Amino acid sequence: MVTKKQLGWLFVAAGVLGATAVLLVDVLEAGNYAGIGPAQRLALVGAGVLVLLGLSLLPLGDRPA
Amino acid sequence: MTAISPSTPTPSKAAWQTAVAWLPRLLIALALLAFVGYFIVYAIYAFHLFRFPFDYDQGEGFELMDTLLFSQGEWPYRNNDHYPFYSSNYPPLFHVVIVPLVWLFGPQYWTGRLVSWLGTLLTAAAIGWAVQRRGRRWWLSAFSGLAFLASNYVYHVGPLFRQHMFMVMFETLAVVYLTATVEREEQDGRHYNGRLLLVMLLLLAAGYTKQLAYATVAAIFIFLFLRQSKRAVLWAVPFAAVTGLIFLWINLATDGWWLVNTVTANLNPFIPGQAIGLYRQWFTLHTVITVAAALFALYQLYFTRLSAYAVWFVAAVLNSVTAGKWGAGESYFATAIAASCILAGLGMAQVLDWAKQRGWRWETAVLTLIPLLWLIQADKVFHMPTHTPTLAAVARTLGKPTMVYIAPQTSCSAPRPPEPVHYVDSAGVSLLGRPPSAQDTAAGIAIANHILAGETAAFSEEAGFNFYAGRDVVTNPTQLLNLYQNNAVDLTEMLAMLNAQAFDTVILRAQFYPPPVLDAIGQQYETVDLIQMNGFVYCIMRPRE
Repeated sequence: MVTKKQLGWLFVAAGVLGATAVLLVDVLEAGNYAGIGPAQRLALVGAGVLVLLGLSLLPLGDRPA
Repeated sequence: MTAISPSTPTPSKAAWQTAVAWLPRLLIALALLAFVGYFIVYAIYAFHLFRFPFDYDQGEGFELMDTLLFSQGEWPYRNNDHYPFYSSNYPPLFHVVIVPLVWLFGPQYWTGRLVSWLGTLLTAAAIGWAVQRRGRRWWLSAFSGLAFLASNYVYHVGPLFRQHMFMVMFETLAVVYLTATVEREEQDGRHYNGRLLLVMLLLLAAGYTKQLAYATVAAIFIFLFLRQSKRAVLWAVPFAAVTGLIFLWINLATDGWWLVNTVTANLNPFIPGQAIGLYRQWFTLHTVITVAAALFALYQLYFTRLSAYAVWFVAAVLNSVTAGKWGAGESYFATAIAASCILAGLGMAQVLDWAKQRGWRWETAVLTLIPLLWLIQADKVFHMPTHTPTLAAVARTLGKPTMVYIAPQTSCSAPRPPEPVHYVDSAGVSLLGRPPSAQDTAAGIAIANHILAGETAAFSEEAGFNFYAGRDVVTNPTQLLNLYQNNAVDLTEMLAMLNAQAFDTVILRAQFYPPPVLDAIGQQYETVDLIQMNGFVYCIMRPRE
């Protein structure tokens, strides 16, 4: 069984990984835009929300998710 | 009726309190009337479609063709390089289910339309049952189930010969039955593996009805992982193995054409504007159930435990981004709508339980608010054919327009001025939803008669006319375009036949064919007639002299 805290960390990890992947698109020059494009910006906002959601779950401790 | 009415006020309470206590009943009755009205409208549309013998939506005839091939013991996953240049990009289950009807009645459009429509009714029943299990209020369960059928999107595609809603049916049944199973397991303290196996079979059925079900598969395994991590992994391995083995078997049986047609040909370009527009429209049309579902999912995240419905809702909403792919559309939101109907119903039931504990004033207030919210939702999804005096009068009474003006869709002919259309839809100008008329059937027959005037099958963008004329169904334009865009088809033989004017008739509707095919048609054929059917202008072409 996964706890709220564990789920929080999973969200944080997913958000950080997601944001890294989005930024890597530019490094690998796979995007259509020079710099951060509109889709990337949206994905970064989503990743940020996921991290915040994860952090907000951490204080809930060992309650089942 | 105790479930509807709050606790009766004591005799010492004023008369206004008695009147207020009756207000929820009145509002519930009104909301029920609205949703039952939508169901009647849905049935009217469906029965008109059952009688219509041609394509209403462009892809329907090709799904009928898939079914016909299965009924003859053949796969529809074929080499597009050679005549009749036909193949399918959809998994087989929906078509296989319809095969017995095709054996009995022949290749009729109503067979698949009926099965798809019945599938939506079963989905609505499953949604209602899911809410009833926890909510114990029949009217709230009815709202949740009927709201699914009242969605503009479900209405548009539910009675079509398309496999999408059949996939949603399997997805919904899987999630609802999983929830019932896990709850019973946690209550009894033991595992019911037979029941979980049934959930897996339903998921497999969803995936082999349409590939898009992968999001629901992911949601179910994420939920299982949250509740029973080790068991989730133990079930995921055989599930993946069986799914993969079936995939390999079909691929071997079709000499690799299954992979080419269902995977390679589905790598379509993503159009961000289309996805954003559809998200906006979906939210505008389904605001109440979406917000209610999201709030209840957040409540579960922070205050109780995440349910399978909450995980499913999030996965489905995220996966709806695939509606932005070329060839995709509004129906890709149907899974999210099913999930939100369940979550909204359960959330409202929870609020009602909470209010009941706080006394009749709170309960009356919440009982008044909830049907009002459903009435707002009903108003947001307004759609209604107005082709009969009664339906027009109903629309007028509700303060809605009784007709709209829409220009017929043209692609191969000159634009035409807008015409009155007796169908009103809050989704905006919709190509779907208007019941086909006797004139549409006559137009379809007129097009088929052009084929019968020649000797060969028509090179047609829709299969229905060749079916009606008893000729071969030649190619599937959207699939051909998919393959062409992925460099997975050789057009040499097709172009040679067109250049040799091997087809007596060409029928265009939207010019979906790849550019070299359209070029060959333009050089070798000329338009001899324009016929309008279902709001589209079809170009009938003959070989140039």
